[in-house]
Amino acid sequence: MDPSDELLVLVETTRQFANEELLPAIREAEQARGPGVGARAAFEQIGLSRLELPESLDGAGLGAVARVLVNEELAAADPGAAWALDPLGGAFPVLAALGDAALERFGLPRLDASQGRVALAWAPECALTIEGERVDGSVAYVPCEAPDLLALLAPDSVMLVADGITAEPVRGAGLRAAGGSQLRLEGASVAARVKGSAAAKAVARVRLQTAALLLGVMRHACEFSRAYALEREAFGKPIAHHQALAFLITDMQMALDGARLLVHEAAWRLDAGLSCVGEAASAFAQCIEAQRLIGPSGVQILGGHGFMADYPMEKAMREARALALLVGGFDAAVECAGQELTRTETPLGLELAS
Amino acid sequence: MDFSIDPESRRRLEEARAWGREAMRPAGIEADRMGAPLPVDHAYFKRFVERGGGRTRWAGPDGKAERGPRASVVTTLLLSEELAYWDRGITVADPGPGLPEASVLGLGTEEQKERFLGPFLDLDRPRWACFAMTEPGAGSDAAAIQTQARRDGDGWILNGAKCFIGGASRADWILVQATVDPTKGRGGQRSFFVEQGTPGLGDFKIEKKMGLKAYESTSFRLEDCRVPAENLLGGEPRHEQKAGFKRAMATFNAGRPVIAANAVGIGRAALDEALAFAREHELLGRDRIRDRLEAMTRKLRMARLLCLRAGQLADAERPNVVEASTSKAMAATVGMEAATLGMELIGLVGVRGDHLIEKLYRDVKAMDIVEGTGQIQRMIVARSLVQLPR
Repeated sequence: MDPSDELLVLVETTRQFANEELLPAIREAEQARGPGVGARAAFEQIGLSRLELPESLDGAGLGAVARVLVNEELAAADPGAAWALDPLGGAFPVLAALGDAALERFGLPRLDASQGRVALAWAPECALTIEGERVDGSVAYVPCEAPDLLALLAPDSVMLVADGITAEPVRGAGLRAAGGSQLRLEGASVAARVKGSAAAKAVARVRLQTAALLLGVMRHACEFSRAYALEREAFGKPIAHHQALAFLITDMQMALDGARLLVHEAAWRLDAGLSCVGEAASAFAQCIEAQRLIGPSGVQILGGHGFMADYPMEKAMREARALALLVGGFDAAVECAGQELTRTETPLGLELAS
Repeated sequence: MDFSIDPESRRRLEEARAWGREAMRPAGIEADRMGAPLPVDHAYFKRFVERGGGRTRWAGPDGKAERGPRASVVTTLLLSEELAYWDRGITVADPGPGLPEASVLGLGTEEQKERFLGPFLDLDRPRWACFAMTEPGAGSDAAAIQTQARRDGDGWILNGAKCFIGGASRADWILVQATVDPTKGRGGQRSFFVEQGTPGLGDFKIEKKMGLKAYESTSFRLEDCRVPAENLLGGEPRHEQKAGFKRAMATFNAGRPVIAANAVGIGRAALDEALAFAREHELLGRDRIRDRLEAMTRKLRMARLLCLRAGQLADAERPNVVEASTSKAMAATVGMEAATLGMELIGLVGVRGDHLIEKLYRDVKAMDIVEGTGQIQRMIVARSLVQLPR
């Protein structure tokens, strides 16, 4: 279950980048609605934008496991910035499912320019009318500044909309470093679409990369609040040594560790070509459950300080909540995993990894 | 990163599955209906021994006894889950040198291995051995045991009471934990082989239990029970080594993940039964029910992965104290939740008292108690995470 040496190097490099370029500037990035120029340049320079792109297209050709490991590291510093730094806005799985032509037309130019304005949205949750190739309606929120390309996801189809998009900036509850927009689509047209298992797999991949961002935010909340609880004293001892808080910190860590294993296993299954749609949905759902505990608890451990913007716990709570509502959030993930469950006689019958 | 199961483990799992389906579950249900452990002469035990079970891992006095390669901790966990899926009580009832075997192999003298493990090399009949730590006043706090060992010439005199000891009345010998100095906590404790029939060993009482009825949980007393000096595990000169061994063992733990895997197995059985019931009664179309089954599946999968992670670290002889306790704390809770969901799904059918889920509901509770309660596990994790004082 340990990452390979190659992946460990990738993790270490990403962690260093996140700690040096993102972490010191989290409030500035929120304010600026995007990471700084230096962070963008460094991100591009270490090749993180082309992680999953096939080697034939000058990418690293890595898979879902690499993606989830990288995303956790980035989000442990700043999930909004992590989202914004990706020139494809997390839409690589959609472009890959649509095929080489879509990837070359919509993906490569953005990657070559190291900048993209691609938004992802969960179609069933949007007020959209899709008739044939025409799309009208609105999308309440996307974590993207003024997108010019929209990837719409649904349980059994993914599609790209490349025109007819009007974006209005919104403040965003979380992920402010990614920017944020409300979209109107008038006479927009579907530029590419794919249905069936390829679409389901793309959705699984997007769920996993989002789940990994949640892991990063939760890890940060666990580590920061734990360190605080060891320094802060009340009633003559560190607050971490009061059993009520010691157990809360323990429960937070256990929730994180369990959720992480589900994400890693689902990502490994995806890379190994095993069934992964239900597993990815389950992993995302479990991350969402975990953040319900960890996000608010991180604030709680810091007490009044947790509520103030001087400390990053309020941000972690907001970020986690926002991430957990993307890609259809908990209900869509549970619905997907539940549907997969009904097709199986013995869902955990130690066929694991067969 | 690799989550796959190797072919040999898979083969052993298939074997375990076949045995579990054919023999273990019927035997477990029989004991449950009977409300008592299976008797020592039950045909199940005979078959268990005939198919090669119940033997020691000791290679014999000349080191030549045929033993297959020792299973990795991960494989052991996978098997533990699978066997508990069919009947956890029966896995404990199975004959063999059981819990104390690892201590004897790790700490015992060559003479002790021959004397106490030797009879388990080629079994003439089902044989049992057991380990006795728990007392009426000392459960999770093992340092607080009160059973006294007093030196008496060339032997030791034991006095005290033990409880909840698996298989004590049928064991050939019991490895009894006693203290030579209660003020020294664990440091004052020693282990003694007490053979069945030793004068002073008696008052066996097989407890009535809520679940896991297939194996006996027994209380007994030691009253001026005299054992020879050579029954002290490892002998006096080896106590320094014993301390070293225990220190090494403290950094990685394989016992707690086994119980965790048991809890996952019981929970998985409850899930499969609940799913079958839901299918039969066309309940899977109801979102509320499907969502609850999904949550259970997800959490059991997570608990399994936590067990395997702890096992993988143990196999690599890397510290796994946090992971082992996490797996135990999480899996026991999840197993209980799965059985609870099963009961709620089958409703009054469960209350009737003859459905497998009802048995699983009673059985699984013990998984949050044995090998350290969930609260103890959290204390262990908290000691690592925040240096929670003892």
